[in-house]
Amino acid sequence: MARMLMDRGFRRVRPLAGGLDAWVSAGYDVEVEDFGEALAIKAPE
Amino acid sequence: MQDILRALAEHGPWIVFFNVFLEQVGIPVPALPTLIVAGALAARGELSAPALLAAALLATLTVDTAWFFLGRRHGQRILKTLCRVSLSPDSCVRQTRGVFERWGMPSLIVARFITGFSTVAPPLAGAMGARLGPFLFYDTLGTFLWAGSGLLVGHVFHRAIDRILESLEHLGSRALFVLGGALVLFVLLKWYQRRRFYRTLRMARIGIEELRDLIGRGAQPLVLDVRSEVERRRQPQRIPGARPIETEAVDRDLSGVPAGSEIILYCT
Repeated sequence: MARMLMDRGFRRVRPLAGGLDAWVSAGYDVEVEDFGEALAIKAPE
Repeated sequence: MQDILRALAEHGPWIVFFNVFLEQVGIPVPALPTLIVAGALAARGELSAPALLAAALLATLTVDTAWFFLGRRHGQRILKTLCRVSLSPDSCVRQTRGVFERWGMPSLIVARFITGFSTVAPPLAGAMGARLGPFLFYDTLGTFLWAGSGLLVGHVFHRAIDRILESLEHLGSRALFVLGGALVLFVLLKWYQRRRFYRTLRMARIGIEELRDLIGRGAQPLVLDVRSEVERRRQPQRIPGARPIETEAVDRDLSGVPAGSEIILYCT
């Protein structure tokens, strides 16, 4: 995917190391997709 | 070489069983060549084709059912582990998932014919909550066609295969090196593909802390969620402000985005 975007001329493309799993397990804020509307919640500190 | 052939003629179904078993577990030993040679031996009446087919079916169903339940219990994690074991690029998981979403259970029939794919499909079916009955039905059908066509190719081309085996026999023990070399080449090729894939990925990564700081500073990078819809429904959390994007619709979804934009991609 990153390759694809670069082929289309986007120069500053970076994949997130560890992906969503790393983000979630670090306890950072997430949104919950409600398929239609997105609702923002705070992750517990 | 003759020893190998004699072993195959004597213990054909067992050898087929273990070969298919290992391949389904995820070890990169292709079973199709064994099936083809066994099919040629069956054409000469040295082996029983139904017994070979039964061996392939038994091996596949044993392993696949185990994968199915592992997938049901551990979901995502088992898929990631599997792709690592089978030396196939990680994109195989994504591709398998894409096909599975489009075709559903019947994709198990096609999955059998594609290396890497066949090992990933059963745990994926489990992870996606498929029922055991239909799973076993399609898995059996797929294996039947796959093993059957291997044996059939061996049957139809048994004269040509005999000639190849004969020339290998002339090589004597050197034939082992030829076969071993082919296997090593196969594994190296898989390993190389995987490395190249990782190198592309490693080109420039962003860490989670860095991304959080970027968003916190108000830099507003374009964060793209490249997971498929099924994955997003299974795990509905996403990074704040992220936009889902479909591989097929990149041009439509990103029209109007300046080329110099900071873009961050993530999957699971």
